[in-house]
Order: sequence, then structure tokens, then C-alpha cells
Amino acid sequence: MAVDGVRAAALVDIATGMVIRSAGEEGTDLVAAAVSMADEARVARAVLGPGRPGGDLDEIALVTKGRLHLIKILGSRLGEGMLLFVDLDRTQANIALASLRVGQLAPAVLA
Amino acid sequence: MVCAAAGMSGVLRVTGDPGGAIHLADGSVAAIETPGAPSPEVLLLRSHRVSESAWDTAFATAAAAGGPMGAELVRREIVGAGELEGLLRTALADAMFVLASGTVEEYRAEPEPADAVLPLRPGAAADVLLAEASRRIRVLAALPARHDRDRIVAAAGAARPGVRLGEGQDEILALADGRRTARDMAFALGRGVYATLLQLARMHQAGLLATVSSRADGADGPPGADERERGGVPPVASALPRRQRDAPGSPSSPTPPRRPWQAGRAPELRAPLGLLRPRAARDANSGETA
Repeated sequence: MAVDGVRAAALVDIATGMVIRSAGEEGTDLVAAAVSMADEARVARAVLGPGRPGGDLDEIALVTKGRLHLIKILGSRLGEGMLLFVDLDRTQANIALASLRVGQLAPAVLA
Repeated sequence: MVCAAAGMSGVLRVTGDPGGAIHLADGSVAAIETPGAPSPEVLLLRSHRVSESAWDTAFATAAAAGGPMGAELVRREIVGAGELEGLLRTALADAMFVLASGTVEEYRAEPEPADAVLPLRPGAAADVLLAEASRRIRVLAALPARHDRDRIVAAAGAARPGVRLGEGQDEILALADGRRTARDMAFALGRGVYATLLQLARMHQAGLLATVSSRADGADGPPGADERERGGVPPVASALPRRQRDAPGSPSSPTPPRRPWQAGRAPELRAPLGLLRPRAARDANSGETA
């Protein structure tokens, strides 16, 4: 994937927390991480509350000293939908540019 | 073993509860048919992701041309190729989970490939699906999750104004009439059985739902009541029936929910699936654990 600093990416089913497809560096426990990401997306939607005056959940960014995790909600109308998880090296990634680039690439994942 | 020697394509027919047919192509799982889990077709139509008319038109065109249904849905831009792949992979995982959490009485490997409406090409690795099925059973074993054939009823006051319902909970409550099971709801809503069981477990925890009884147990009430009606217990002492009603398991006390999910049941399908895989792959995976 053409985003600077990407280590791994995965397509995750939100309802079940299952990894549908993944690519990138080995060594990350994507199966366990995917379940937590699906839970995060569900909790974030609950936080937004019914009606969601600011719009539906679009993206979650999680930042640590070394890593940047982007969780992009994809526009699937099946079940609770799918999310795209992108794991980036923070020393090589710019959060705003990475978010913009992932947003541009995301529609192609379901197409 | 003929199938294993011949290679990697064929159908594994599993007899049991719910049982089903696992289609393998080139060593991987292309489709699973089981009455225990909604098929990709049911998932697309009942969720209203695809309209019946769009489906019928695509189906007629694909049948006339002798082409695959999946490619026709994508060509008509009814679903995207990536979304369809996601749907097929989640449907396979759900069907494998249902087969793995059920019972396997017998299995038969047929070396001839058979048609499936929406096969995944290339298919999913059987080991990955079995590992996912084991994970799901472990998750449910750790939750207050009911069996997929326990009947569910809305708790009193669950749908009253002021109770804030989350994602899709109103649809579940509308179906929770005391007769439908998690499996019935999954079919009605066009969702996976596992996804529905997780949703129901969360709603049980929130006090929105209750379990009526288990259809799988085949009894709505305790067996003692029937025995008394049949005359098994002589109706002599008038005080005795009253004490029985207060005893555990009598009609006045609710049936305690069973704990149906036990981790470690999924490998039951591992041996049968090995029959349809090439010997080299079986040897390479023999040391792997679920």
C-alpha cells in the first residue's frame, strides 16, 4: 500500500472481529488485535450516541511513542460493516498525511 | 483416502446436528452449505444489501451464460469485488463455526466437485477457518452466551421509551418473541449466527433479553410434570404436590441456562477435512495446533 511508514494492514469484520484479509510485516498478532479494534469501533459508535449529529464514525487514530494505528470504517452495508486497520511506524509517518492517504485508498478495498 | 491421493477438490458431506456439505477446490474451502448458518445469498437478501429483483436478474443472466454468479453481481455493480470477498469469507467462517460447534455423526468424502451458488475463488484455508471456529467457541465459552437454539424473549420493559438501544438492538427485540432462537434471528436479519450470538450476549448482559428454554433439550417444562399427568406419581397425598412445586426443577422455578459453549471442540472436523487435502499439506500442518 502506497502510504509512508506502513508496517501492516488488515481488513476486519466489525461484527465478529475476524480478520478477512491482511498484508505486511509478520509478527503482529493481528487476530487478537482485530477483535480489540472491532470492540473499539463499537464503543466509539456508542459514544457518538443515537442520531450522531456530527455524522457516523469514520476513523479512529491511536498514537503511541513508536506507532500510529489508523482504523478506517469502510462503507459496507453488510452487518456492522468492515474496517481497515493500518499499522504505521510513527517515525516514518505523518498522521495527517497518512489519514488523508488511507481515506483516498479505502474505497478501493471494497470495490 | 482416495480423495486425498487424487488431490484437493471434492465435497465433504457431514451428517450430524446441523451437518452440512463442505466444498473444497484446489485444497481450500470454496463453499459450505449447512442448515445451521445463513448462506451468502441469505446474508445479501435478508439484510436488504441486494434486492430480490437485482438478485433474480443477475442469477438468470449467469445461468443463461453458464457463468459464475459472483462475477455477474460484480459486473452489474450490485456489490464490489472486495465487499463480496469479505462477505464470502465471513459466511464461510460462520458456517464452519456452526459445524464445529455442532455434532459430527458421520462424514463422507466425495471426490467429485459439486456446484455452489457463490463459491469463494480461490478458497479459504481450512486451517484458518478451523482456528477461527475454535476462537469463536472460546469467546462464547467465556461469555454468558446462550446456545444458538435457545429461545429468546425480550425482558419486561426492554423496549419502553427512555431505554436507549444500540446498534440493531431494536430489530433483535422485535424478533425476541419467546419462540425464535438466535439461529432464527440470524436467518431473519441476514446476519451471521456468531455475530447474532455476540449481540444477544451483550443484550442479555444489559438486561434487555431473557432465555425461555432450550429447543435442543426438547422440553418446555420439567419432565416431572408429564409423569404426574400420566399417572406415574399417585395423586394420594394432597400436601405432596405443593412441596414438589417449591422444589428445584419444579414448574415454579426457572430452568437454569445451560453452558453450551466448551472450548476445544472444533478439531472434531480436522480429521475429516484432512481427507480432502493433499498428503504434503497434511504432513506440513500435522504439528499445528488450533
